[in-house]
Amino acid sequence: MAVHRAVIAGIGHTAFGRFVGRTALDLEAEAVLQAISDAGLAKHDVDGLITDPGPTQGVINGITPHFLTLGQHLGLSPDFVGSEVLGGASSAASIQRAVMAIEAGLCSVCVCVYGDAALSSPGSFAYGRGEESVFGFFGATGLHALAAQRHMAHYGTRPEHFAEVAIAARAHAARTPHAQLREPLDLDGYLASRLVAEPLRRADCCLISDGAAAVVVCAADRARDMRRAPVSILGFGQAHSLCTWSSPGHFDALPAARCGPATLERAGLAINDIDVVLLYDCFTIAVLMQLEDYGFCKKGEAGPFVEGGRIGPGGSLPVNTSGGLMAEGYGGGMMHVIEAVRQLRGEAGDRQIKGAQTALISGHGLGMNTHATLILGQ
Amino acid sequence: MTSDFHPSPLAFEPSKFTRPFWDACRRHVLQAASCNACSHLFLPAGPVCPQCWSADLGAEALSGRGEIAAFTIYRQAYHPDYPVPYVIALIALKEGPRLISNIVGCAPESVASGMSVTVRFASRGEFVLPLFVPAMAEDSNDA
Repeated sequence: MAVHRAVIAGIGHTAFGRFVGRTALDLEAEAVLQAISDAGLAKHDVDGLITDPGPTQGVINGITPHFLTLGQHLGLSPDFVGSEVLGGASSAASIQRAVMAIEAGLCSVCVCVYGDAALSSPGSFAYGRGEESVFGFFGATGLHALAAQRHMAHYGTRPEHFAEVAIAARAHAARTPHAQLREPLDLDGYLASRLVAEPLRRADCCLISDGAAAVVVCAADRARDMRRAPVSILGFGQAHSLCTWSSPGHFDALPAARCGPATLERAGLAINDIDVVLLYDCFTIAVLMQLEDYGFCKKGEAGPFVEGGRIGPGGSLPVNTSGGLMAEGYGGGMMHVIEAVRQLRGEAGDRQIKGAQTALISGHGLGMNTHATLILGQ
Repeated sequence: MTSDFHPSPLAFEPSKFTRPFWDACRRHVLQAASCNACSHLFLPAGPVCPQCWSADLGAEALSGRGEIAAFTIYRQAYHPDYPVPYVIALIALKEGPRLISNIVGCAPESVASGMSVTVRFASRGEFVLPLFVPAMAEDSNDA
């Protein structure tokens, strides 16, 4: 009999009934406190949190679980399902959940899929940020603009540094036949791009796309007979920072600063051992911050680090060899995984990194709250 | 791009926990939740203290003074009720809590990191909002 390396250590729940004036939030808090107390643990022991939004916070208010909608149309009756709601970290996290489910014996072939028709749904990105939308705080751009402005003020980062990221993405996409935006960009073109939320310009923002991407994760013993040489999963991890405004360091470092080193350690690798670097590039500033937080360069030095085309094709550290979210297309993060597989199979054509043996993929999402890292190998 | 936006940002319903903050704004008082167990001051208010998990909470009036920790000037309009340009800032209040608000009463181009600001209440829709002005431009009355 298999013995799992995890146990149930505590339980807690509220009373069940009709409680006028109570909300899901305070009921949830009560249950969490009870369960932690039952386990003889304290707040500082907690390093994981998974929530189920329940019926009225989810289904009844119109959010049908994504796996149900898709699975229905695919005619599936699977043994394991789930939907990730980590924003831009969801694709990397979905691969992780699939690996865990397979290793736990719950399933053996798990398809991870991203899909959206975002470009055909105008206005969908003009969403408010909770009660702060009353001040006109809309969209993901304004949020990242705060981080970009802070980076410029603290470290002297210049628009030319943001431009390096955007220009490199286009140059990579020019070598990617299926990329959505293959026209080259130069510094003049970047500076002529209209301001959205200063200091960020249109050219600092990723694309909005209609599209979908899927990755099959399979038990290693079954993969032996398959058509394609398998790509190994060397390590994965997540880290999250849920206290958006109240955390003083929130706009200075991403949870990547914890997630990256921990994941590399699990994989037994150092950052310099990574051959293919695929960073979640929703905005240019997110790439600069991740270069620092993953340890490719020191904190505050990402601007000078990317100068001279360093992360472009032929540079000493090509980043997002397919063009990424900024030029290949918005694929959630699943297209980063697919590019890693292509590079490791040696099928990346004109943009192939010679002798690529390892790839690192990041996902970054919500209010800069979530982060996931995936390390693949040959 | 101004396009369909729902729900209207000026028609939101405060939660059970944030309603006291917005009610205090109507009285031109900026307040934070306070923990009676560990004295932590925090925003937004919630069911327990995020520092020590005590549910013994109160509220404390703040000075309304702070400095700009980060800001952005919106140049693209997202909603017809919010004409550009306008400034969104993360404000580090003197007493510790941080909040998102607007900087008004000065040219957007004159806003800078670290600038001292002070609260000025203004009516908008159903709400009285705690906006911030440069401390130099502070008026003796809040009207």
